[in-house]
Amino acid sequence: MNMNLFRSEEHARNWDGYDDSMASSLMPVAEWADIFSNPFFRERGRTDYISWTRSEAGAAAFASLRARLPRASH
Amino acid sequence: MAELELLDRGYTAVMRRVTDTGQAQHYTELASELGIELTAARELIHELVSITPGWTHPGTDHLASFPPFNIQPTQYRVTIDGEQRWFAQCGFEALAIRWLVPGKHVRIDAPCLCCGEPITVEMDDGDITAVEPEQTVGYTSCEIGGDAASRPFR
Repeated sequence: MNMNLFRSEEHARNWDGYDDSMASSLMPVAEWADIFSNPFFRERGRTDYISWTRSEAGAAAFASLRARLPRASH
Repeated sequence: MAELELLDRGYTAVMRRVTDTGQAQHYTELASELGIELTAARELIHELVSITPGWTHPGTDHLASFPPFNIQPTQYRVTIDGEQRWFAQCGFEALAIRWLVPGKHVRIDAPCLCCGEPITVEMDDGDITAVEPEQTVGYTSCEIGGDAASRPFR
């Protein structure tokens, strides 16, 4: 998995798997925690979760999540 | 392809087991639990991991990853209310485990991939209560969910 935590931005940049095209993903852990607070993650405990992901509410949550995810700069 | 109702039941059964124990059912056990044929349960496992997205160990029907958890150990050790029994799929999914255990204290311990020194994040529901060191960051070297055209619902 390439989604990792590092002790600082400098440590991430020094990692041998670092790719500068994804530099926009370098964010404080609290910011990633906020992104992973989207309903897409919060609703995983419901008994109709797969159905929910295909509902309007699920689609809206996904769209909101996609809007916050960093993209590569090519 | 399994019907939506079966996908919901299968997802719930596996997620509950992993959340409770850190382990996942074999498909034979899932078949018994859901009252379905063995073949249907085996196919259900593979369909669920294609959706979530998780994965089975290559060439097998054994669940290896079911986000936010990993059945196979990773560097992201998860402690819930003082008990270390779980692993997270990745550093970001580790931050989402708290939503499956409301009211419980979640602690993530991981080594930094650059230096091997420890990182700790502690959470109580919506609150991040501790981050050590404070400068800890998240970083991904590839777009989350992979290529948009082939990305499952995440």
